[in-house]
Amino acid sequence: MEKDMKLDKKNELKEKLAHYLFLFNATVAIISVAAIAFFVFYRGLQPFIPGNAEGNYNLIDFLSGLEWRPSLGKFGILYMIVGSLLATFGAIILGVPVGILTAIFIAELAPKWAKKIIKPAVEMLAGIPSVLYGLFGLGVIVPWIMQISPQAQGQSLLAVIIVLMIMILPTVITITESAINSVPDAYREGSFGLGATKLYTIFKVVLPAAKSGILAGVVLGIGRAIGETMAVMLVAGNPIAGLPKSIFSPIRPLTTNIAMEMSYAFGLHQEMLFATGVVLFVFIILINLILSRITRGSVLK
Amino acid sequence: MKKKINIKESFIYGLIGIATLFTIGILVFILGFIFSKGLPHVDLYFLTSQFDSTSAYVDVKLSEGSQNPLGLILEETTIKEKGSKEKKVIVIKEIEDTSLVEDAINNKGKPLALSEKDIINRVNGINVEGKSVEEVNQILNNVNKDTVTMRITKQGGGIFPMIVTTLMMIGLSLLFSVPIGVFAAIYLVEYAKPGKFVNLVRFATESLAGIPSIIYGLFGMILFVMTLNLGYSLLAGALTLSIILLPVIIRQTEESLKAVPDSYREASFGLGANKIYTITRVVLPTAVPGIVVAIILSIGRIIGESAALLLTAGTAAKIPGSLLESGSTLTVKAYTVAKEEANIELASAIGSVIIITIIVLNALSKFISKKFTKI
Repeated sequence: MEKDMKLDKKNELKEKLAHYLFLFNATVAIISVAAIAFFVFYRGLQPFIPGNAEGNYNLIDFLSGLEWRPSLGKFGILYMIVGSLLATFGAIILGVPVGILTAIFIAELAPKWAKKIIKPAVEMLAGIPSVLYGLFGLGVIVPWIMQISPQAQGQSLLAVIIVLMIMILPTVITITESAINSVPDAYREGSFGLGATKLYTIFKVVLPAAKSGILAGVVLGIGRAIGETMAVMLVAGNPIAGLPKSIFSPIRPLTTNIAMEMSYAFGLHQEMLFATGVVLFVFIILINLILSRITRGSVLK
Repeated sequence: MKKKINIKESFIYGLIGIATLFTIGILVFILGFIFSKGLPHVDLYFLTSQFDSTSAYVDVKLSEGSQNPLGLILEETTIKEKGSKEKKVIVIKEIEDTSLVEDAINNKGKPLALSEKDIINRVNGINVEGKSVEEVNQILNNVNKDTVTMRITKQGGGIFPMIVTTLMMIGLSLLFSVPIGVFAAIYLVEYAKPGKFVNLVRFATESLAGIPSIIYGLFGMILFVMTLNLGYSLLAGALTLSIILLPVIIRQTEESLKAVPDSYREASFGLGANKIYTITRVVLPTAVPGIVVAIILSIGRIIGESAALLLTAGTAAKIPGSLLESGSTLTVKAYTVAKEEANIELASAIGSVIIITIIVLNALSKFISKKFTKI
């Protein structure tokens, strides 16, 4: 009897330990998010806080500057912000229609055999590492642009837009497809019953019903485009100053600014790269806030 | 009613078709480009050789051979040195069975086997660069001792160190993230009641999934490389990667735990088993295929990752000797080769290896989930 009691106690302890072990691991994700936000902001805001050991920099000059010359102590990123936004905007304008139309084909029109080819192809597209997109851009798109561009080099805003447009396709397609699939068949039947054609039904009934899901896909695509680094770094040109004047001008997105110089930067230069990360992070947070607004009460769930 | 397809409709059908063809076409184009540029360079030598060329002095015992007493069949080739100067050199074309060059010993007394494609620079102190095969064979035939001292150069150009580094990175990151992810999922599915905490965890994993890898790189650099003083290292890279992997592993494991029917748990409880026994002996074994899929997806993610590793693990082209040494994975190397050396062929060759691996991983995860969801 006493032995049983002991065993029970031992088991109870074991159960409790296990419970806390699992609980602790569940908090790791929360801790990670908090740590990432803390460290990136903490280190990135140092240059703007008076009395910083590595020297100070004016926040307004940082955000409105059109030159990045670390050797001269000039750290302006406005032209990078503009470059990042233009590239993202262009990629969305070109990529979203292609993505949505492809998703419509997969979800509503494709025969089974075609689905069996297209869906794995989209998955493969999502699985290609971004470096290889950059390689493709460097080996194919940049030389192609060089032929039509008035500028001497093919690395340009246009090259970035094309590479990013391809890269957001799988995101837009998969999310739009699942949004379309979650529209109840009764909607389609109702529309057909009223004599509408298939296309009319898709564009006037199904797509509006899947609106918030599609929007979520677009916003995720924006997030992917603005955060993309390695592919873009190979095709952007990364100039040290100047707003892009045309689609053939080289640009220097925020992400590549960080990745290119981090390996040899030190002191204030390094801290200004961290500060660039803060600006990028703010954009990402905004995008995620918009995303959670959209997905709340969406048909996706 | 008869369906009417007017001009406008056929135009829209056309657009849908073009968009779909574009999506498929671009994939074919990208794969075609990388394979056509890269695959011709991929062979056993490429996969098993060092990346950097190295030179050494070696002592080789003579033996019987057809061309020369080393049992080596030599040939002349031109190699491109850095700075694109071309140079005529003698390389080993074939090693005969009788040859003892595989037991060669370097000047530190350690074994250093010669292999095909190695360059012979000097024989017994005589510079043989620019000489013909006949001249070198003659020099070798005139040797009257039973050993020859040669300076040889291993050509490099292979990706063996990056393959090993990638494998190490996979093993190490999974070691951290799989237990954390699986335990977290167990908590969410088996213990937690719906409420604030669960929502917070869900919010956190969603946020993690939305953070771009360059931000992970920044974070990893600030925390692991600088604050914890790990330097650019395998360990800093793996720690950063393990956070990147958390959302994938938690979500996949959660799905597979949820798919275990409640009747299993009830039966186990009914037989008097306690909770932890039920989880470890009944629920987890049933969920194993799902967890395996999570691991395969994670491996794909690790292989594809570059921005975060560039800032945390560095770009050294050697096999890291310890957890605190820098090493570049295949993907990071593909980037540095493309960016710094503008060598699209070599980058594509590495890219071909990466893509083939990813195709195999995708097929594997499909196979596993298909096989086990049929139950």
